[in-house]
Amino acid sequence: MSERTRVLRTDYLARVEGEGAMYVKLDGREVVDVRLRIYEPPRFFEALLRGRAFTEAPDITARICGICPVAYQMSAVRAMEDACGVRIDEGPLRDLRRLIYCGEWIESHSLHVYMLHAPDFLGFASAVEMAREHREIVEQGLQMKKAGNAVIALVGGREVHPINVRVGGFYRVPTRGELRSLVDPLHAARETALETVRWAATLPFPDVDRTQELVALSDPDGEYPVDRGTIRSDAGLDITPADFDAHIVEEQVEHSNALHARLRERGTYLTGPLARFALSSGALAPTAREAALEAGLDAVSNPFRSILVRAVELVQACEEALSIIDSYEEPDAPFVEVTPRNAVGYGATEAPRGLLYHRYEIAEDGAILDARIVPPTSQNQLAIEEDLRAVVEDGVDLPDEKLSLRCEQAIRNHDPCISCATHFLKLTVDRG
Amino acid sequence: MADAGPVLVIGIGNPLRHDDAVGLEAVRRMRPLMRAAGPRWRGVAIETCEHEGEPLGLLESWEGAGAVVLVDAIHGESQAGTVRRFDASSTPVPADLAGSTSTHAVGVAEAIELARALGRLPRRIVVYGVAGARFDAGGGLSDEVLAALGPLTEAVLRDARMLASPPQGSAR
Repeated sequence: MSERTRVLRTDYLARVEGEGAMYVKLDGREVVDVRLRIYEPPRFFEALLRGRAFTEAPDITARICGICPVAYQMSAVRAMEDACGVRIDEGPLRDLRRLIYCGEWIESHSLHVYMLHAPDFLGFASAVEMAREHREIVEQGLQMKKAGNAVIALVGGREVHPINVRVGGFYRVPTRGELRSLVDPLHAARETALETVRWAATLPFPDVDRTQELVALSDPDGEYPVDRGTIRSDAGLDITPADFDAHIVEEQVEHSNALHARLRERGTYLTGPLARFALSSGALAPTAREAALEAGLDAVSNPFRSILVRAVELVQACEEALSIIDSYEEPDAPFVEVTPRNAVGYGATEAPRGLLYHRYEIAEDGAILDARIVPPTSQNQLAIEEDLRAVVEDGVDLPDEKLSLRCEQAIRNHDPCISCATHFLKLTVDRG
Repeated sequence: MADAGPVLVIGIGNPLRHDDAVGLEAVRRMRPLMRAAGPRWRGVAIETCEHEGEPLGLLESWEGAGAVVLVDAIHGESQAGTVRRFDASSTPVPADLAGSTSTHAVGVAEAIELARALGRLPRRIVVYGVAGARFDAGGGLSDEVLAALGPLTEAVLRDARMLASPPQGSAR
C-alpha cells in the first residue's frame, strides 16, 4: 500500500438489519473502490420454493424477513393470483391487505426513524445512548411500533411472520368490532407521526445532492402506492410487473453474495420512500401532504432527508389504516377460491424499503416450477455504493473517523435489510 | 419476591434455524413441569412465552412482569451445549454473552439496555445463553444442545421459582 492509499474500514456496520461490511479505498483524493458487501439468501429461498405448492409461497417467503414479512406475503399472493387469473383489486379483501401492509410500514418505519436513523442526526452511537438523553423520542418510537404490530397481529394472526394470509385472501377475516380496537392506538400513532415530521424537519442534514433514477409502483387508481400498480420512474420507465425481467437485470459481483440489480437501459436506480414520494406525493392523504409541505419537503434529492419522508409515510400509513377501518364491511367469505393452472405470475408491491418483485411459474397441479424474488435492498445496492462514492468525494478532507461515520450514515439512509439476507456487513475505508 | 407481577420466562429463537430454537424448546419443556406443580409458586404466577422476531418486542412482552428469565442461543467460541447464566438486573450483559445469533439491528442485549435507560426493565432479569453448534436453515437441535436441554430447563425453572420466592429473612 502506497502512502497515498487510504482505507476506511468498518468491520461491523451498526443499526442496519443484519450484518455486513463496507470498504472504501482512496488513492490520494481519488476514490478507487467502494464496496457494500451483502450476503442475501433469496436465492436459497427460490430453490427451496421449487416443488412446493403454490399455496405455500406466502408462508415460506414471509420467513425471509422478520421486519417485512407482510411485503413478502403480499408480493407472493399477487403473483400466484396473477398466474391463476384471479384479481383482488377491490372490496374488503384488498382493503385488509392494504391494512396489514400499513401495519408493517408503521412497524418498520418507526423502528428505522427512531431507533436506527435518529441517533445519526443527534450524535449518538446507538438508540440506547440516545434513550438516556432523549427518552421521549425512543418512547414515541416504541409507541408507534406497538400500534403497527397491533395491526399486523389482528389481521395477520401474530406480529412476526403472520399466519393468516393465504392465496385468495385470508384464513379468517376480522369483525368490524375487532378492527375498532385499533382506532385509538392508530389515532395516537398518527398524532405522534405528525409530531415526528415536525421534529425530523429540524434535524441537521448534511448538504448532499444526488440525482438517481427513482423507481416505484404507481397505483392505477391514484392511491399512494402500496400493494399494486405499474412500475414507473422519473426518467420515463413505465412497465407492468410482467415486464420487470425485460428491463431490470441482476448481475453477480465478486464482493457481494447479493445480486446487483440495474436497469438494462440506464443502470443504477433507487427504490424506496424517496422514490415513492417523488412519484406519488400527490396521492398522499391531506394531513400527510400538508405535513410534508410544512416540513419543506418537495423534490427530495438529499438521501439524508429520507428520515423525513419515512415520517410522512408514517402519517400516511396511519391515515390509510384508519380510513380502511372506518369503511370496513366484513366480506361474505374470507377468501376467493384460486384454482391453479400452468402459468407464470408476477407480483410487485411496495415493501417499507421499496419495490419487492416476485415471479413464479407453476404447474397444472399448483407445484412451483420456478421462483424469482428481487428484494429492494438488492435493487438499491448500486445506488448506495454511488452515494458512498459521492459522500467520500465530498468529504475527502475529513479525518477517517468522521468520514467513516458519514459513510455509515449514507448506507443507513436507505435502511438496507440485510436480515432478509444473512449474516454479514463489515466496513473498510482504504486511503492509498 | 417479584414486585407486583408474575415471573415471566421468555424463550427467544427462530424455530427454523436449528440450535437458535433452544430458548423456545426450553420453555416448551418447562410447561409440563410447571403444570405438575400448579399454576403459582408461593403465591406468584410463573408464566412462559416464546419470542420470535426482533428483540425490541421484548419490551412489550415483559411489560407488567415482576421478574424475567430470558433463554437465548449464543454463537461464539464456547463448546456447543455450554450454558451461561448472567444476572442483568443491574449490570449490562457481557459482550461474549451478548453476541447472540440475532442479525437484527437491535439485539437482545441492546433491548435490555434500552429498557434500562427507559426505566422499563423488570426489577430482576436473568439471562441464559446456550452455545449452539449450528444455525443454518432447518429444524431440530444438535445433539450437544439436546443434551444440555434437560439441565438447562431445570436451572431455568429453579431460577424462576427463586425469583418468585421472598428472600430469606424477608418480613413479607
